[in-house]
Amino acid sequence: MLRREVWRHFDYWLFGAVLILCVFGIVMIRSAIAGNEELAGSVQSQSIYVALGMGIILITASINYRTWSSLSRLMYIFGVVMLIGINIIGEAAFGSTRWFRAGIINIQPSELAKIIMIIVLADYFSRTADQPKNLLWIGKSALMTFGMVVWILLQPNLSTSIVVIVIWFALMWISGLPTRYIIIFGILGVTVFALLVGLLAAGVDVPFIEPYQVDRIVNFLFPDPNARHGETYNIEQALITIGNGGAFGKGYGAGTQVQLRFLKVRHTDFIFSAMAEEFGFVGTTLVIGLLVFVVIRCLRVAQKASDAFGSLIAYGIAILIFFQMAVNIGVNLNVLPVTGLTLPFISYGGSSLISLVLGIGLVESVAAHSQTLDF
Amino acid sequence: MNDGAGRMRLIGAVFVLLSAAIVYQMIRIQNSEHSRQLVEMFARTYNQQVRIILPERGNIYDRWGNLLAGNKEVYEVGIAPPQVANPETVARDLAAVLDVDYYDTLRKAESFRKEGNERYELIKDFVPADKIRQLEQKLAEYENAEKPKKGAPPSLAGVYWKAHLIRSYPENELAANVLGFYNFLDRWNGRGMLGLEEQYNNLLAGNKQQVVLPLNPTEIQEIPEIPPGASLITSLDRDIQAAMERIIDQAVKENGAESGTLVVMDPKTGEILAMATTPHFNPNEYWRYDEIFPVGSYFNRAISQLYEPGSVFKVLTMAAAIDAGAVQPETPFVDVGAIEVGGIWIYNWDRGAWGPQDMVGCMQHSLNVCLAWVAQELGPTQFYKYLQDFGIGRYTGIDLAGEQVYPLSLPGDSNWYPVNLGTNSFGQGVATTPIQMITAIAAMANEGKMMAPHVVKAYIQDGVQYTVNPRVIRQVVKPETARTITEMLAVSLENEASNALVEGYRVAGKTGTAEIPGPGGYTNMTNASFVGWGPVDDPRFIVYVWLEKPTSSPWGSVVAAPVFSQAVEELVVLMKIPPDEVRQQLASP
Repeated sequence: MLRREVWRHFDYWLFGAVLILCVFGIVMIRSAIAGNEELAGSVQSQSIYVALGMGIILITASINYRTWSSLSRLMYIFGVVMLIGINIIGEAAFGSTRWFRAGIINIQPSELAKIIMIIVLADYFSRTADQPKNLLWIGKSALMTFGMVVWILLQPNLSTSIVVIVIWFALMWISGLPTRYIIIFGILGVTVFALLVGLLAAGVDVPFIEPYQVDRIVNFLFPDPNARHGETYNIEQALITIGNGGAFGKGYGAGTQVQLRFLKVRHTDFIFSAMAEEFGFVGTTLVIGLLVFVVIRCLRVAQKASDAFGSLIAYGIAILIFFQMAVNIGVNLNVLPVTGLTLPFISYGGSSLISLVLGIGLVESVAAHSQTLDF
Repeated sequence: MNDGAGRMRLIGAVFVLLSAAIVYQMIRIQNSEHSRQLVEMFARTYNQQVRIILPERGNIYDRWGNLLAGNKEVYEVGIAPPQVANPETVARDLAAVLDVDYYDTLRKAESFRKEGNERYELIKDFVPADKIRQLEQKLAEYENAEKPKKGAPPSLAGVYWKAHLIRSYPENELAANVLGFYNFLDRWNGRGMLGLEEQYNNLLAGNKQQVVLPLNPTEIQEIPEIPPGASLITSLDRDIQAAMERIIDQAVKENGAESGTLVVMDPKTGEILAMATTPHFNPNEYWRYDEIFPVGSYFNRAISQLYEPGSVFKVLTMAAAIDAGAVQPETPFVDVGAIEVGGIWIYNWDRGAWGPQDMVGCMQHSLNVCLAWVAQELGPTQFYKYLQDFGIGRYTGIDLAGEQVYPLSLPGDSNWYPVNLGTNSFGQGVATTPIQMITAIAAMANEGKMMAPHVVKAYIQDGVQYTVNPRVIRQVVKPETARTITEMLAVSLENEASNALVEGYRVAGKTGTAEIPGPGGYTNMTNASFVGWGPVDDPRFIVYVWLEKPTSSPWGSVVAAPVFSQAVEELVVLMKIPPDEVRQQLASP
């Protein structure tokens, strides 16, 4: 397993970029908790997770990714069981059930479900690469996807559900989804959306849609100019924070919005804004650049992969990282409604980090095991 | 995978474009007018705190620098609910030490746990320092205590106290009628009430300062020290004031009077050395004001209560007549016991006829008939001109809040009748305050110069002392007149063998007994007064005594004169005035 040739093709650039992002994340969290006693342990626990995460990357990289292909059905069942389990015995946190508390480490099954879905779908699409891309092909993958997503939706966790659906759609598309189906999907999507809006406007209770989710979207689309401390508080503070940073920022630990705690959830959802205040436009651009570099690096692995399965895994991970990054930053920049998706590698949170490094580990594995005949 | 490779490139392009869009949005936010305004608005609202700093209120001292009014440190005790570790300890200890309600305190201490309430909860304000020492002791105890096996350890975490100053009057009741009081329970809008505290409120309070403190921890700024309010140095002498208060209290008690007033002034400067009135009031407990001074009664009778002064007023009549040359001390007068003025008959105090007298005898026996005749000799024009010059019917302008005045009726006024000339000559039908009387009569002890009465000798502002100079109101009579009147009143006291005489010191003085008008004319209640000064060759003090409605005897000579004598006996000691003989020996070697 730990043969030397594995490390010859190991993508050190990718690993290095991820490590830098994670360490920067710890540094930023340290500033963001700003003397809040309840969060005082965050830096330490995040550091442990990062160390653990680096180990996970190396271990995952050393395992041949093809192993997972044969285990995909088992993993799928494991994922669904975990999600059902969380709905039954999970612990309520912030109004939604998302956590398994296993000793010190809290595992969020839905985070893990993203990775499982990437493997499972990559397996399915690579196996069916030669089959006609008809409705049956689409239907089977849809069944697999929604068999998992429905449990995530039930938590309720709309954002992760959307992430999984996006991954599904992206993998399907790259696997050669004919353009006419894209149009059909588009029309279908618009119709369903219109129907949803109509029903919600009429005051009908739609299953899987929680009132707070509707509120967030309404507040995003039609901000109330009089609401100062209510629903628009977080996003308004984020804007002030970003505006406050300027070109080079206020300096580490000197951002008033962050240090005086006007900015809320500043170590997770709004860490981007905190970063923007303390390191300014230049600092955040560098971080965005680094994240994009990681994504491009993953795509490069996908391109160079020796088989479709590996390529689709790397591609799926790239989609996952980019989508989360884009949505998180989009929320911070007030172009998207508040979702709760974290900034990859930087935001505080063990589960999110573990699932992401698992993904990076898989990409590294794909990179390392691509040229099996290289001596 | 040819199609796939193309799509892969497309994805890459989309990613790069989206990233560029993110960067673009960053730039837009940082440069948009709206977010710039938001930042500015927010900075204005939250980045700074406007705080008003109250300067320390100035002190009030007596003439020797003894503190009469100062400030002391008290504490505000409160709870920060999120930091409370053990609500039971907090509630129990605060209830025990501060005497507050246990359950109420417990509710406040638990408010964060139960209601998520992050506010600061005030428990008690104006807590004296010794109570805080008790809390500190408990705090130390809990720190050293071993942790119990079960339950939360006792802790006062979350309890805070903050010191601030309140007004304090270390001598309690002493000179309270002069000092007034400060309503210190109103921490932000307190102001001086009555007396010096009101009169000099602006000076004592100093200038409030509004400071803008940044909340940004990187721009931390010290709270500026602001200069305290000005301190007052009064002309009062603490020891004399205490002695006078003691004497007047005793006199009121012994004579069963309703109230008593005793004012001591330096006739040469107008400085008030003591101003004692009853009842007493403790400004440290100013909220009991209504109890002590029910509606219609006066905080400082010496300046606020108008009354008919009676025969002490004769000093002014006689001074005016002698000054104008209408009479001389030797001018003879045959007292037949009655005189008609303006169609109304005026009688002596004893309704007796005193036969042939000179002016000294008139003053000595306090003959109304004689003085009415003197006023007629002087004539109304001259008489009222002199009264106005003496400040009757006018404010003396003493630097104490609450001075009252009653206008003097003059010939030509609708409420003036010819008989007034007669009654006014012996102090009836005219209303004055003790401060008006002592100010006017003090001219006799100061070569005819009336000095403006005042309490503040100097004030200290920003470390510089500013002296208040004595001010002459006017030369009301000629110096010879003043000396003559003094001599006449000294002789008349001696002839009378008055109760007012003081061994070793020659004093001049005049009694006064004024009937108090009731609803149906004058009653048999009186105001007994005495005004006297000494030593006659070089007057150092003038004393005004007034007992309201004495029950032991109605007469000023019986009731008020001994009070004067007592007061002077103490005064000469406290003011270190040697007996006349000793003094004269020292003066002529």
